[in-house]
Amino acid sequence: MRPGGNIPLLNSMLHCIIEEGLFDEDFIKKRTDDFDKLKEHVKEYPPEKVFGITDVPAELVRKAARKYATSKNSLVLYGLGVAEHKGGTAGVIALANLVLATGHVGKPHSGINPLRGQNNVQGACDMGTLPYTYPGYQSTSDQSVLEKFATNWGVNTLPVTDGLLEPEMYSRAIKGKFKALYCVGYDPAQTQANIGHVHEGLKAMDFVIVQDLFLTETAKFAHVVLPSACFYEKDGTFTSGERRVRRVNKIIDPPGKAKADWEIICLISQALGYPMFYTSPEQIMAEIARLTPAYAGISYDRIGDKGLVWPCPEPDHPGTPLLHTERFPRGKANFVPVSYIIPEEVSDDEYPFILVTGRRLEHYNNGSMTRRCEGFDLISPEELVEINPEDAKRLGIQDGQMVKVESRRGRVKVRAWVTERSKPGTVFMTFHFQDALTNILTSPGLDSKTLTPEYKVCAVRIVP
Amino acid sequence: MVKITVDGKEIEAKKGHTILSACRKAGIKIPTLCHLEGEREPESPCLLCMVDVEGKGRVRACNTEVQDGMVISAFSKELQELRKERLEVLAKSHYGDCRAPCNLTCPGGINVQGYVNLIAKGEYLAALMLIKEKNPLPISVGRVCPRFCETRCRRILLDEPIAINHLKRFVADYASEVGFRDDKVGSPTGKRVAIIGGGPAGLSCAYFLRKQGHEVTIFEAADKLGGLLRYGIPGYKLPNKEVDKEVQNILNLGVHVKLNSSWGKDFTIKDLKDRGFQAVFIATGLSRQKQLDIEGSEHAICGLRFLKDVNLGKAPEIGNDVLIVGGGDIAVDSARSAIRLGAKNVTVIYPRSRVELPAHQRDIEEAEKEGVQFFLMATPLRIMEEDGRLKVEMARTILDEPDERGIRHPIPMPGSRLFWNGDTVISALGQEGDPTFQSFGEIEASIKLSPRKTIKTHPSTMKTSVDGVFAGGDCATGSRTVIQAVAGGRRAAESIHEYLMSEKAGITEPRFNFTKGKRFEDVDMHNFDGYSIKLNEVMPARPPERRKGDFDEVNLGFSEEMAVREAKRCLKCGCLGLSKCTYRELCVDYKIKANLSQTRLKYPIDKSHPFIIVDANKCVGCERCVRSCRYDALELSIQRDNKSQVIESVLIRFNENCVSCGACVDACPTGTLSKKDVVIPLFPEQLNKKQSVCTYCGTGCSIDVVTKYGSILEIKADYDRPPNYGQLCVKGRFGYTFYRNEERLKKPLVRDSIDEPFREVDWDEALRIIATKLNHIKTHFGADSIGVLASSRCTNEENYLLQKLARAAIGTNNVDNCARV
Repeated sequence: MRPGGNIPLLNSMLHCIIEEGLFDEDFIKKRTDDFDKLKEHVKEYPPEKVFGITDVPAELVRKAARKYATSKNSLVLYGLGVAEHKGGTAGVIALANLVLATGHVGKPHSGINPLRGQNNVQGACDMGTLPYTYPGYQSTSDQSVLEKFATNWGVNTLPVTDGLLEPEMYSRAIKGKFKALYCVGYDPAQTQANIGHVHEGLKAMDFVIVQDLFLTETAKFAHVVLPSACFYEKDGTFTSGERRVRRVNKIIDPPGKAKADWEIICLISQALGYPMFYTSPEQIMAEIARLTPAYAGISYDRIGDKGLVWPCPEPDHPGTPLLHTERFPRGKANFVPVSYIIPEEVSDDEYPFILVTGRRLEHYNNGSMTRRCEGFDLISPEELVEINPEDAKRLGIQDGQMVKVESRRGRVKVRAWVTERSKPGTVFMTFHFQDALTNILTSPGLDSKTLTPEYKVCAVRIVP
Repeated sequence: MVKITVDGKEIEAKKGHTILSACRKAGIKIPTLCHLEGEREPESPCLLCMVDVEGKGRVRACNTEVQDGMVISAFSKELQELRKERLEVLAKSHYGDCRAPCNLTCPGGINVQGYVNLIAKGEYLAALMLIKEKNPLPISVGRVCPRFCETRCRRILLDEPIAINHLKRFVADYASEVGFRDDKVGSPTGKRVAIIGGGPAGLSCAYFLRKQGHEVTIFEAADKLGGLLRYGIPGYKLPNKEVDKEVQNILNLGVHVKLNSSWGKDFTIKDLKDRGFQAVFIATGLSRQKQLDIEGSEHAICGLRFLKDVNLGKAPEIGNDVLIVGGGDIAVDSARSAIRLGAKNVTVIYPRSRVELPAHQRDIEEAEKEGVQFFLMATPLRIMEEDGRLKVEMARTILDEPDERGIRHPIPMPGSRLFWNGDTVISALGQEGDPTFQSFGEIEASIKLSPRKTIKTHPSTMKTSVDGVFAGGDCATGSRTVIQAVAGGRRAAESIHEYLMSEKAGITEPRFNFTKGKRFEDVDMHNFDGYSIKLNEVMPARPPERRKGDFDEVNLGFSEEMAVREAKRCLKCGCLGLSKCTYRELCVDYKIKANLSQTRLKYPIDKSHPFIIVDANKCVGCERCVRSCRYDALELSIQRDNKSQVIESVLIRFNENCVSCGACVDACPTGTLSKKDVVIPLFPEQLNKKQSVCTYCGTGCSIDVVTKYGSILEIKADYDRPPNYGQLCVKGRFGYTFYRNEERLKKPLVRDSIDEPFREVDWDEALRIIATKLNHIKTHFGADSIGVLASSRCTNEENYLLQKLARAAIGTNNVDNCARV
């Protein structure tokens, strides 16, 4: 399909399901509101019409819609191809509409799950490293939450102003209003989209601390770099995409003077004058459980070798692998009609290709780990731009030839991989390689709610 | 649940389970090579799991479901014979080395290939610990070992052996430099052991006894520990300061020491028993030297005494012209010491030819470079004093007619008469047993001697004829090398542990071994196809003209780069599948003869896969690889001889579907498929395995991390644990070596501006800078001008602390994470 067409495609599937009466009337009645609104909205999305935006043949859409709606169990697993669009949030809502209309939720082997690209990104959000929530998604504007944390943390006040989302930090830094960043285990200078802007933001800051295993791209902007332990070298827990809390065990010692992140954070806190003393991650988990209802029943004793799935509200609660069986968090779910959101950039005469970025199996994120593992350079030594044979032929590009990929924001020199993996008019690159920073090219477009960048669509040209 | 009877024992089993899995759950191990739980059947099953079921006949346990009341015979003599036959058939096409020749040759049994390859990976401390499993004196042995291992190194057939001992010295010295302390002792057993003699055997025994938790006291006659290491080996080979370090490393484990405490003078074995020592280990070495049996021998000084005096800095005046009688280590060491003491003409006289000199040829060459002369095929007849100097009458020798054992002894050539005039004659004919201890007491008197006047001991238990008294090292074996004394000390410690605790100490490594050839001439030269010549690293040494003026160490040691380069030359002969080899285990259990095996390399070893080595010469035809593959990425074809069932040809090839998930390697029950990075042959029980969760994507796969001494050897996945049930991707199974990459950050780095280079600082300074800067920014621009970015790399606990730091310590909600990527 054409990148950026998720919402019209999903809406057209709903169109077919409604048209053919394949929706779950009983479920809709008992568990949802506003179905009529949706019904009205998706009338505008017959597959034949949508074909012009998505390139997906109408018959295929109808087939998929029937299969999804009528199967006993249907499960939606979605990746960043849904989320990393200007209409990312809307795309997820479109999926949710599909799930609700067919009642494929709240029972085993069904539902809707994001596939998380990074091991503990679920846990990072669960733990409240978000500007608007405390651990367990407790709101920063809820007075009782603030009081609870203030009491437990032994502080008189906690911040009441809204925090900044990461992309806002760079923008404000460029304006001179944001001065210092402490960045742990994350390499935005390589992995964020439109990194020209990120670099400008980092340069504008007075003080940047980077804590990592290696000198990353972000470390180039750092004033202090702290050596940390990798996951073989520390104790703790990770929460996987299925909300399963698992133990990660310290197996070997960190090299040299490197320390586990939790130890370093405690040291920094003490240096700043706020007492933070823990003897082990287990002790920290006890505090998390005390303050976080969804994790209240989780302790190292209980995790065992198979883990516990939150919500786990009591010390004897078995965990909750299946959500939404009886009710949704707000009671009934409501349908939210969403419309096609046009990507920030579309291809034109000057930049005739759509660049889609993502990951390849062999590497992980900025490549700082996998690119330093033996054998990986044999299977994936360098960045490649995947280009369809048709396009390659037209441009006179041979497989393996070096080309320049240029967008409105910059240029990257890479080797061409002529392959059917890319459809005509689109090219694909990853962001695993520090020596070919793909994100120089990517779009400044952001999802308006989450500020997630539009990694999946930007206009480029290929210069042999 | 159903009830079945297996060889008369009733067990409960779950309905629907196979006989094999029901028995496994009940702890009955029916052998199998090909079974793979939950996967399709092989085309040619291994048939090892065949059992007899009453009323059903002979069936495969792996595909026959249990039924209530089933009566099974699983280990009848007939079945066992059948299994043995099957295993023998497989042996006939098997070709490889279970363990490397270097490992098997080392008198100390050190896992040479293991430590060499840990060095190649930069895991120096793990390498050292692997050495110390068998040899707690690596600083010394790394300098003086005659290197039995290197003489059997297969690389000799290609170019030159690996410089194994230099590598041992490198890691030993590296550990001293970084201040590594190996101080893990066993939990106290309450048992007390006395060790008589603080030389290599005694020190080694003390080390291993402490590792088991026994209390140890060393009684040493001299005023320092070290024995022969300190007093017998000259400083230019092994400096006393290195001996000090070695001794200290052992004392660090908590060893009691009684110095200046002489057996027979200060105590007897009875005294020791009376003082509550439950076992005694005698390791006194050989302090007596063979007598020079010629007229005027009283004018010669004793070589052993001379070396001791030199080491103590009390060398006698020896003048310019020195004659040394003998040809062993003591003779050559005396000669090189004499040169260093300023003698101008130093001659070693020996009655046989050059190649028969018992000293190491390497040492002889070095001695010659320093100016020592070797007067061969000659013998002294008489020493006379003349004008305050010495005159030695000598004769050239010829070999006599063979004696009753066929040995031709040298005798003076009739009519030959030569004279040497000089200042000092040193007699260095070698050490011999000294039975005087038998007069020390009643117990001592009952300790039996060997014909050579050494203490008679059992060669593997080191027991003497007296209960609770053990002996090892030179006093039991006669003059041997340091590594042999160390091995004796270790064996004694194991035996003493068994004696005191009535339990085995550690694991016994089965002796079973497939080999590509015990002798060089048996080894198929095709094994070296594709290797290019790379000569070994040369040990940096001080030039002869400089070094002969002092007693400082001659050899300077490998640099880190040299050590890694040298270690990478290793051919990795020992099987890389050793830790997973079910076939070998079965061969041990069924007492299969290893010499049944194939003697020629049939298929070239395929290293074209990025992570996996394919050695079809080891294939047992179980088809587990191809059946474990979810990607249709393996092509396997096996031809067997119809009659004998011997495997005649094997083809294993990866095709372009392969995603390098590695499921096949972990499924292979031999070394046919092995991981390129797993280069340390270890038995399963020598490995540590710990559970964790994969660090890459959000699936959260269960992993088992396999380690040895802090070095990660491989990542596996348990077939029983969710969510991946044994599956992993290329990153999960192979993407772990980054942790030891040399670019890892090891110290905090700081700089004032991003245009400057970083400088390394300690944590205190880094934290001081952070506090100053952040506090300054907070004061001037407010807490909301500061932000924290957390990540998926951090644990939940760490992420929790990061938002707590932002909110409680800094005072801002500016905390976000990497979820957008």
